[in-house]
Amino acid sequence: MKDNLQLKDVSTAEGQMVSIDLKDIPRLPLDVEPMPWRPLTDEQKENTACILDEVCVLNIPKPKSREEEEELVNKFLNGMRKLFTTENNWTFLPMLQTSMDNCVQCNSCSEACHLYEMSGENEMYRPNFRSEIFRRIYKQYVKKEPLAKWRYGDMGLNWKTVARLGELAYRCNLCRRCAQTCPIGVDNGLIAREIRKIFSQELGIYPRELHERGTMNQMKVGSSTGMTPDVVKENVEFIDEDYTEITGVGITTPFDVQGADIMLLHNAGEVMAWPENIAAFSLIFQEAGLSWTLSSKAMAYDGVNYGVFYDDAQTARIALQHMMAAKELGVKKIVIGECGHAHKALTVIADRVIPFEYQVPRESCYVTLRDIVVGGRLKLDPSRNNFPVTLHDPCNAVRLMGIVQPQREILHKIAPMFREMPCHGVDNYCCGGGSGFAIMTRNNIEEWRGNISGRKKFWQISEAFKDCLGPETKKYICAPCSNCKGQIREILEHNDLYSKNSFAYGGLVELIVNAMTNVNPGFIKWEGEEE
Amino acid sequence: MTTLFYLLGYLAVVGFIVLAVLRLRAYRKASPLHVRWELYPVPHEGPKANYGGSFMEDKEWWNKPRHISHWGDIKAILTEVLFLHATFEHNLKLWFRTYPFHFGMYMLMGGTIIVFLSVILQFLGVDPQGGFMTFVGNVISAVVLVGSFGIVGGGIGLILRRRADEGLKRYTTLEHYVNLGSFVLFGLLALCAWAFNPSYFDLSCAFIANLLTFNFEPLPSCFFTLNLLVGFLVLILIPVTNMTHLILKYYMYHDIRWGDEPTNYSEANKQAIGKMLKFKTTWSADHIAGPNGAKTWVDVATTNPAAPKE
Repeated sequence: MKDNLQLKDVSTAEGQMVSIDLKDIPRLPLDVEPMPWRPLTDEQKENTACILDEVCVLNIPKPKSREEEEELVNKFLNGMRKLFTTENNWTFLPMLQTSMDNCVQCNSCSEACHLYEMSGENEMYRPNFRSEIFRRIYKQYVKKEPLAKWRYGDMGLNWKTVARLGELAYRCNLCRRCAQTCPIGVDNGLIAREIRKIFSQELGIYPRELHERGTMNQMKVGSSTGMTPDVVKENVEFIDEDYTEITGVGITTPFDVQGADIMLLHNAGEVMAWPENIAAFSLIFQEAGLSWTLSSKAMAYDGVNYGVFYDDAQTARIALQHMMAAKELGVKKIVIGECGHAHKALTVIADRVIPFEYQVPRESCYVTLRDIVVGGRLKLDPSRNNFPVTLHDPCNAVRLMGIVQPQREILHKIAPMFREMPCHGVDNYCCGGGSGFAIMTRNNIEEWRGNISGRKKFWQISEAFKDCLGPETKKYICAPCSNCKGQIREILEHNDLYSKNSFAYGGLVELIVNAMTNVNPGFIKWEGEEE
Repeated sequence: MTTLFYLLGYLAVVGFIVLAVLRLRAYRKASPLHVRWELYPVPHEGPKANYGGSFMEDKEWWNKPRHISHWGDIKAILTEVLFLHATFEHNLKLWFRTYPFHFGMYMLMGGTIIVFLSVILQFLGVDPQGGFMTFVGNVISAVVLVGSFGIVGGGIGLILRRRADEGLKRYTTLEHYVNLGSFVLFGLLALCAWAFNPSYFDLSCAFIANLLTFNFEPLPSCFFTLNLLVGFLVLILIPVTNMTHLILKYYMYHDIRWGDEPTNYSEANKQAIGKMLKFKTTWSADHIAGPNGAKTWVDVATTNPAAPKE
């Protein structure tokens, strides 16, 4: 393992290239202890190319012969060549090409990266580390620039380079905070995603949670959760019944209402993990008198589109089905529920991928909810939310879409003790689960999320609540994004922060319902309170 | 030898223009319409730009007229280009070195334009010894002095920083040193030419006039001749190295980072999408290629690879 890591080590280092010493990880005011890395099994060491660090996302099979090594390298190079052609990559080529050609390696991006900071400034996490390796391979082997070896240094390309580069593409949350700081406009987040594309689109290598259990499952049964249309309808019916009892207000969630104004697109994970979110949306929309519906069409009851994290083809396929379902229902707009990447995929990426005649206008739920709350369409008593509340800004909806104020206008109206985190709005930090990590739990990925990727968020949270840390004061972390909630839940649970620090977490809609005067008090529950 | 010197001058100017145009053309041709990949704050969003907001914060934004503050864009790009604002904010130690370097470059670029216009004015009959030209000559004299000091000081500062900072050192290549070293040498020779000749302005005017009239006369200053030779090299290096950001930064900001134009506002965009969807893709993974190999993006997007096999 290298202490003084150099770019060339990616092709020369034997065995595991980097080790993150837990002693180097910054300590937090909150009781969030580093989680020891679990050693790789002998079977993993023997059969998979887990040779980057303690984590292994892709499980690339270790080549067993010279021929297999060459095959891996050649496939990668073929993919890389395709990545730089208009026909294969019209979606992202201009951004990729400019990020390849214009970086001056000034490292202004380093400080912006939560992974670099929270790994104890480990060189591997410098945003430019992976980009520069990829850039040098491109210039030496794909573009074949004159005197490339002499100009940039000879970058060895062998199976270890390929395997490590693939893993490196998954040591980034794609939050693009680094890109915000670049004086030139280079985007290291984009480069990480483009490398992921080569692996998925050419080599057929991807994290199983994103592909087999993610996009493919969504296309097979209708949802990445595995729920079929019948199951989702049944589950939502149960949710309606349960929350009618809890809230004291009759809830009926409509499905497939032809000609409704709005098709609401939830992240289906909410149905299984956070049913209160589904119920809260239904209750708010119902009480505000909106004309709305869910779709029970396969794929259209699940707003997730994991394709945006690793594969353009999968992105386009799922976005198209979301649009088609809305078209078939004849709705005026799609309102995207509390899911950051669904916001980005369907509103921004799909905008230039799906032909306009198939498009249905898309609106963020934060905007719709702001209209309801600020427009006085609900009877609200803010004193019901008389506890400290802070807001997490999901990168996809905020930094990448500029939806900053609507959620704050709501909070100012319903949460008298609302306070911002440091570095909020478009300067926010990723929750640590961004770009698919929130749904991955294996090969030290959980440990990685606790030790490195989610750590900065918990620094922000502890700063926001620094006047009331401890178990005495109930506190609410408002995270209006399904994946972000999953990540925050994990850290809270692992460190027992529900009881040690009286944290509750949830979305925006739960806070709104908690303040509704016609709803039984206490919609939001803290540790120890009865369900 | 003198003829060769002037030929190199033509080659440098023409080469720079051709290579810059090729760079821009490659960017334009890379995609008829790339996906939106904006990053907020986007300065043309008017008052919302102050906190990074966008038009997507508005209810049913697609029914509202789009207001773009071009002044916001201009202000932001000028702040960035003239003051290197992002480096100041995120990399202050580097800014103290790179700002004098860039400022010096801007001074010499601006000075070159002034000298060129002066030569045109002299062709049109303005007296080279008159009060106006004397004034311009004094301005150029100051510009060359300040600009060259900026380039030399900033350039040496950048080289030393790249040697001393362990983080930067890892990413520094020979090309960085060649680029910076060429600029430093250029600045040093400019200072020598300035110091050891009666008027840098007169030398510059003579060279540009000779270039425009194909009058291949030797220049009276060795330092100035060497200064120009290194200048020719620098001119060619810009579009073929990472210094090409001088040419492409406009697109990287306006077209990518701030490119938030929704598709439905443009008929041309709609046409472009149709064209791109007909491109044939050759990605090999099973879930894209399927059993039949290459197909168009329309075929890919409308195929469900997880559907039960018939």
